Amino acid sequence: MHSNQMPTLAALSALALASACKREGFDDVSCRDLEAEDCVQVSADDPDGLIEALNGLAAGGAIVLGEGTFTMDNAVVIRGADGVTLIGQGMDATRLDFGGLKTQAPAGVDVIANDVRLEGFAVIDAPKDALRVEDSDGVVIRGIETTWSAGAATENGAYGIYPVKVSRVLLEDSVASYASDAGIYVGQCVNAVVRNNTASGNVAGLEIENTQFADVYGNTVTDNTGGLVVFDLPGNPVVGRDIWIHDNEVTDNNRANFAPGGTVRMIPAGTGTFSMASRRVIIEDNTYANNNTGDLAVLAGLVVQGDPEQWKLSKAELVGVVDGLDLEEDATGTSIYNWRTTDVVLRGNSHSGSGTAPDASLIDGAPGLGTLIALTWGDLAVDTVLYDAIGESAFDPVDPAGNSNDNRICIGADPGVTMASLDAENLSQAFPPTLDMVYRPAPPFAPFDCAGFGEVILPDLGDLDQTP
Amino acid sequence: MRIWLLVALAACGGGPVRVDVDGEPPERLGQLRLFDWNDGELTYNDGVTPYELNTPLFSDFAVKERAIWLPEGEAATYTAAGVFDLPVGTVLIKSFLFPDDFRAPDRDLRMIETRLLMHGSDGWVAYPYLWDADQKDARLKLGGAVKDLSFVDANGDDVAFSYLVPQKNQCLDCHEHKSGFFGREVIPIGPTARNLNRGDQLTAWERDGLLAGLPALAEVGSAVDQDTWIDADLDAMSQDEIDRAARDYLDVNCAHCHSPSGSEGIASQLFLNWDNEDPFHFGVCKEPGSAGNGTGGYSYDVVPGNPERSILHFRMRTDELGSMMPDIGRSLVDEKAVDLIGRWILGLDGLGVQCEGEPPTP
Repeated sequence: MHSNQMPTLAALSALALASACKREGFDDVSCRDLEAEDCVQVSADDPDGLIEALNGLAAGGAIVLGEGTFTMDNAVVIRGADGVTLIGQGMDATRLDFGGLKTQAPAGVDVIANDVRLEGFAVIDAPKDALRVEDSDGVVIRGIETTWSAGAATENGAYGIYPVKVSRVLLEDSVASYASDAGIYVGQCVNAVVRNNTASGNVAGLEIENTQFADVYGNTVTDNTGGLVVFDLPGNPVVGRDIWIHDNEVTDNNRANFAPGGTVRMIPAGTGTFSMASRRVIIEDNTYANNNTGDLAVLAGLVVQGDPEQWKLSKAELVGVVDGLDLEEDATGTSIYNWRTTDVVLRGNSHSGSGTAPDASLIDGAPGLGTLIALTWGDLAVDTVLYDAIGESAFDPVDPAGNSNDNRICIGADPGVTMASLDAENLSQAFPPTLDMVYRPAPPFAPFDCAGFGEVILPDLGDLDQTP
Repeated sequence: MRIWLLVALAACGGGPVRVDVDGEPPERLGQLRLFDWNDGELTYNDGVTPYELNTPLFSDFAVKERAIWLPEGEAATYTAAGVFDLPVGTVLIKSFLFPDDFRAPDRDLRMIETRLLMHGSDGWVAYPYLWDADQKDARLKLGGAVKDLSFVDANGDDVAFSYLVPQKNQCLDCHEHKSGFFGREVIPIGPTARNLNRGDQLTAWERDGLLAGLPALAEVGSAVDQDTWIDADLDAMSQDEIDRAARDYLDVNCAHCHSPSGSEGIASQLFLNWDNEDPFHFGVCKEPGSAGNGTGGYSYDVVPGNPERSILHFRMRTDELGSMMPDIGRSLVDEKAVDLIGRWILGLDGLGVQCEGEPPTP
């Protein structure tokens, strides 16, 4: 009798436990769905409980956020514990609202932790950056939304989803809107996969900055000032390389620039994609449409920082992999310069309706690249691929043989592609600049009719990709 | 102001300090017996030594009381640069207090929080303790708190603001430095030779067995004593005095992030450590990397001769969330320091540098 009762009691208490765990507001995911030993469920009406839980997180621990809006007066900070998970009931169901933040904080959700998983919640109205993950290894960002409720406004925070100085990052299925700088900003990372995200309504939609080994695909980038861009900034010790941009939609990026300042303020509205001060970049099989200034540009870093000495980096301080990059060296051979853009391949992209109304507006009173393009092309549609020819040893507006391709820029003769090499340095000095000064070859665009450097080295995420 | 008494009392919970740096922190601060706080009087226990810094961090005008506890028979080891080598077992204690009225800053002081930085076997760990309303004891509050505080300032004006008691994790915002590009370590910030070198403080530490390896004091650098300018007429100071005070202020308030070993320093290339002599890296004609609204619409971190158009100055004089600096731990403007830094930037005119596109300085 006694022995018979035991399992029944055990089953009953298990049932009771189960119903207790499956509390209201945790329908999509609860602690029972996670493998974490240490797991806490926090309801949306308990923001203080969330802060306490975050600070009590042990290595390998997890926090499950319930359905609803968490009204935060302090930042969500994950630091000091590795292998942790912060997961909500989905970006539409679980909202972290930082509009009522009372004190200064670097980011709404501020993370430094290795092997961290951030999933299924939205970050709203953060005064500075929305979600920042810094100095970490092994980061999964999945199904996150970052946004500002005022829509596009200069007062909005700078970055939406911002992994910076991270090694091994998987950023997927997320949505970023209305950032006053970049919606999705992958900065100074080594090994990144960025896929199936949406960036809209930001100044810059999706940026890959000073990053090595990135596979960027399946993203929808629309209605930003500038769409999907790849670049190095001067003085940063991660020299960007091996970036594969493919199968993305980059359309209708014509939003007026609303950045308060910074480099991003220089982006003309109507910019599809540019690759600047970067190397070993393949941009292929993307859909470009209705970007009013132009679809694709290949630019030297000197466009934003004209002093080459600012692009000097001592070899000793370089981070990541620089083998095989053949970077320009200084006279002593101890430093390199990374302003040059080399080994860029553009092919298989589709283009329609772009370059019809370049953004001629002055930036803080001075003409920018958009102004130059607008003046030069006048009423004609801007070519789908622009190259600034900075750093080339030879340029001639007419004779193909008079043009060098020292930087190894390769442009596929795909349907709809037209190409112009600007010699931007001289063109910007001309009054007025005219198309006569521009080299506009017919397909196959010699001397830019090369096959390219081969394949990019793909990012190595280890087992990160397998995260459920 | 010295409100502590250097008297060894049996008051502290009736016994010696009881610290286990590797164990769980106790729920109540009093259990550690580090000090007593009674009727506005702070009494440190035997073996706990209060200390002062030349240039302290600005924390919304909080009155701060600092002390160090070293395990029996152990000493800190002198280092000329950076924080002293402090042995495992060390506890650094920092209490934050506010008076009702800064015209009488020693009266009616209330303890708001006490932060502990403990050197465990696996490194330093930080814990926030929040004082009870009745001021009898403080409780461990890992989540910190955002408190609505108010006081009457030195001019007799009412000031109300949100004061941040940092979460445990937020302690790392300042105390965690980079070690290698992807590595990190937690370290103390305050107890450096330069910042502790005031009066006979270092020789007293040596005499009492707290410090080993102290060279002749003449060989030890010292940061500017903030008391020499905080209530002084800055007009009466020489440019050299202004410059040194300004650089030490920036060092203490900014360089825990803005140095070559700080993450934000590396990202922005702005290095405000006192011994950085490269003008570009302390901001001269340097464009910010990712300042967002922190630029205030200006172009350069520092425009020599023009504080108003210098982003560094803007980020100190604003109290807008998302724009101001430091990134954490300030809600109010440190007006006197804004004036000091402004005068330092004016003096940088002497560099003879003109930032591109900036109007000529008047």
